[in-house]
Amino acid sequence: MDITSLFTQFLSGLTYGTILFLVAAGLSLIFGVMNILNFAHAALWLMGAYFSYTFWNLMQDYSFGFWLSIPLAGLAAAAVGWVMEVVLIKRIYKRELYEQLLITYSIALILSDTIKLTWGVTNKLIVRPEIIQKPVFIFGAPLDSYFIFVILAGAAVASGLWWFLKYTRYGHIVKAAVHSREMVAALGIPIPRIYTWVFTLGIFLAGFAGGIQAPIGSITLGMDTAIIIQAFCVVVIGGFGSLLGTLVGSLIVGEVMSFTILFWPEGAMVLIFVITAAILIVRPWGLFGTPMRT
Amino acid sequence: MKNKYLFPVALFLLAIALPYIVPEFWVHVLTEILIMGLFAASFNMVFGYMGQLTFGHAAYYGVGAYTTGLLMVKANVPLLLCLPLSMLSAGLCAAVLGYFCVKLRGIYFAILTMAFGQLVYYIIFQWYSFTGGDNGLQGIVPPAFLGKAANPYYFFTLIVVAIGMIALWIISESPFGYTMRAIRDNAERTEFIGINVQRYMHLNFIIAAMFAGLAGALWGPFNRSVAPDLCNWQHSGMPVFMTVMGGPFNFLGPLIGSAIYTMLMAFVTSFTEYWPMVSGIIIILVVLLLPGGLLGLLEDKFPFLRRKDDSEKGAEE
Amino acid sequence: MDFRKTAAFFVTVIACIIFLGASGVKAGEPYNLGVALGLTGAGALYSADGVEGIKLAVEEINAKGGFLGQHKVELFIRDSQTKPDVGVREVKDLILRDKIRAVINDYSSAVAMAVKPIAQEYKVLHIASISNSENITKINPSPYTFQVVPNSYMQAKAASVGIAKIANQKGWKEYITIASDYEWGRSTQAEAVKFLKELAPNLTLKKEFWPRLGETQFTSYITGIMAMKPDFVFGSVASNDNVAWMEQAKTYGFFDKIPYPGSLITVTELQLQAKTLPRNMIALTRAPFFAHMDNPMMTDFVKNYRAKYNKFPSDWAVLSYDAVYALKQGVEKAKTIDTEKVKDAMKGMTVNLTRGKLAFRTIDNQLSCSSYMGTIADDPRYPFPIYKEIVEVKGSESERPESEILEARKAAK
Repeated sequence: MDITSLFTQFLSGLTYGTILFLVAAGLSLIFGVMNILNFAHAALWLMGAYFSYTFWNLMQDYSFGFWLSIPLAGLAAAAVGWVMEVVLIKRIYKRELYEQLLITYSIALILSDTIKLTWGVTNKLIVRPEIIQKPVFIFGAPLDSYFIFVILAGAAVASGLWWFLKYTRYGHIVKAAVHSREMVAALGIPIPRIYTWVFTLGIFLAGFAGGIQAPIGSITLGMDTAIIIQAFCVVVIGGFGSLLGTLVGSLIVGEVMSFTILFWPEGAMVLIFVITAAILIVRPWGLFGTPMRT
Repeated sequence: MKNKYLFPVALFLLAIALPYIVPEFWVHVLTEILIMGLFAASFNMVFGYMGQLTFGHAAYYGVGAYTTGLLMVKANVPLLLCLPLSMLSAGLCAAVLGYFCVKLRGIYFAILTMAFGQLVYYIIFQWYSFTGGDNGLQGIVPPAFLGKAANPYYFFTLIVVAIGMIALWIISESPFGYTMRAIRDNAERTEFIGINVQRYMHLNFIIAAMFAGLAGALWGPFNRSVAPDLCNWQHSGMPVFMTVMGGPFNFLGPLIGSAIYTMLMAFVTSFTEYWPMVSGIIIILVVLLLPGGLLGLLEDKFPFLRRKDDSEKGAEE
Repeated sequence: MDFRKTAAFFVTVIACIIFLGASGVKAGEPYNLGVALGLTGAGALYSADGVEGIKLAVEEINAKGGFLGQHKVELFIRDSQTKPDVGVREVKDLILRDKIRAVINDYSSAVAMAVKPIAQEYKVLHIASISNSENITKINPSPYTFQVVPNSYMQAKAASVGIAKIANQKGWKEYITIASDYEWGRSTQAEAVKFLKELAPNLTLKKEFWPRLGETQFTSYITGIMAMKPDFVFGSVASNDNVAWMEQAKTYGFFDKIPYPGSLITVTELQLQAKTLPRNMIALTRAPFFAHMDNPMMTDFVKNYRAKYNKFPSDWAVLSYDAVYALKQGVEKAKTIDTEKVKDAMKGMTVNLTRGKLAFRTIDNQLSCSSYMGTIADDPRYPFPIYKEIVEVKGSESERPESEILEARKAAK
């Protein structure tokens, strides 16, 4: 193995990690603030991909259509997420863990069928604009040119969230809510409204990630069931509710996948679960989480 | 005291009578209900009695199913011997994995069990030469004395499941079972009175896995084949739905839940391919409107059904 | 509180009654034909096409009064979810409640193999039209199971013959395989590797990659393969995954550097990836309609299919349509819809299908049908590329010798 191919594999892992980060960021945010493990997250991610296909299809004649469809997909998914929160999720914040899991799992089932009813069973393909159809070479290592955008978008989301949590008033409230809801509520801040918006933001991220995924390969039914488990692994490794943890967790999973494929192709998924289990056993709150609630 | 055994005995008599009344298809459904009912009841040992949600219970069910499948197909071991061996292998698996799981609580417990479950799933899936990978194993035929018709295997399943359920009942009513309830309600206080909470939980986890393995062992000969899908996380969700539907705070709740869920799915899948949507809506309605499951509702309506110690609902964090 | 619970209880009860009612109505139609395909999940795309082909065939047959002019065909369609245990349950249900006499099943070979013994037990015909693992008919054969699609052995052999020819020409030395980690991917890869060893002894297999079924991110595989610089890559990647894999590989300039001959690119992919598919690639498929446009049955089928669904039929539509017609001709030969007689009639029978006159092999009920290789190229008659320079590898040229089948059966015992 020469250095270039190792670097190529590293880049592959980086892009895969970025995609996982985009999916897991919303998952981790929602869990961190509301303590809800959202099984439906990947279904909304997939819905975002389909939304992005529809928008792209509508704006096919314009060169900006391809790029605009991605944030629009995020917004459309966010709208679905908002309705979901107001109608259902709101009612289960105080419920038991298993009830929350069952409700979000059921929502995932319903959303998958909604996708099938709306978009049919045919795979959807987005044809990329000319400029990102060819690979670029970084130190001789090939990289899909679209992935430059993916990595930049991942970095933008990461720094945007970091800025939001660190410097805005809402961010402070959200961060405080991760630590103590009671305290925040005692200060007279309307917790239910904060929850609605955090949930919507989380789903926006899922839809946005779906939009980003859409031009990579094709969009098919059932893509969501595989990625949700991997996203869980990312969140567990990084620590619930920790933005930095999610970032590091996704990069770990992405790189591990990428390199095991090279050296031990059959073991890629097994290794991910071994790492996840090991982290849970040694440090249940993850690499960057804080051990508070159980 | 009289009421205590009235319901289960009536249910058992009904189970004996039903195959003579309903058409053959429903005998298959009944067999499935019994197998899944035992699976759900074993899950409820961890969930209802220990207060921890396991989302990887299908792994032990799958290990049981594969043990019987492999022994029958590759070594021609008689089914009656396969059943205890399946319990053993599922139990051994749980002894190793459960050791780590019981160190955690709540959501961490749920996720670790799920991660281990997926681990088992991927190992079975990837180990082509031994398990047949995604093909699964075919040709798991029940022994000649059970014939090929639906009824004999149903009665065989009924006997095995009844024995399994009675064993679980005895365990849950023993001092050990009450210790589990105490741990569920307040683990710290239980620790203070000198009980090794982790060891008890570990033991309970192994017991639950053994009976899941027994249920799995019954599945292969019933379906004539086993496949890795039996151990993945979606299959681990089944006992959760069933238990929640039937009522986790009643010993027979999971079995009743299995009956409701399996029959419902038999109806729904026969007229729509959009069964996931229907089952999703039903689960949401049950969780939002029937928090105690069907038996919880019946107990509210008919208080004489209620048993004293189970009436206080589990105090999970 | 109590009121709410009572209401919920009654809602549940009423819902149950509605379900009972809805499924209880069953008119007693003469020939009940079951279809159990993977309508949800990974198999949804191919299976939906299969169902369309079946529906069209049944419509045509019923317009002429049904089987033998008097047995109207009634369809019962179920979702096997591409899971063996669900497939078994659904087929049992079709057999016991819907009283089907034959079932077309499945997308996934694993499901078809699990269903085979059930169909045999209940003496119901079982026709595999999409799933093509050789093991469906090779070992533990069932007299009730027929396969109308070229099986994995035939396809692998066809592909290997084509590849070996090019490899010997170009002096290729090393290759890599990438195959989906499930029955079809595994068996196709194994057979192809075996054939290549015989046909092009200079070739060495450098590495095997096994992406999970349902994989969406192939980047690491792509760069991994490119780093090893093989002379060519042989792939057997499943449907949806194949689209994702090829789209992603293309953006890495993979196909400009590494030939990828003989992978399965069906009419579905030709249509779906019409704009993006690399041209001049040598590919393999199972039942392309454009290879038989000289057969009137095929031209009629394409015309009617287009009229009904406003698109060209995929391989899966062709194969499933053929499955119904093979059954029809079996019934006609038996002169009765009695399954035992139809089964005996179909043994070794020659049928007239869209793909021409083809015969079922007596030893394994495998239809002796062709595999098709060709070069992907645009054609003004179609809005998508088709195969040019089509090589039709006949069933007789690609089937496994009977002696090997008997040996395998002996070994399996």
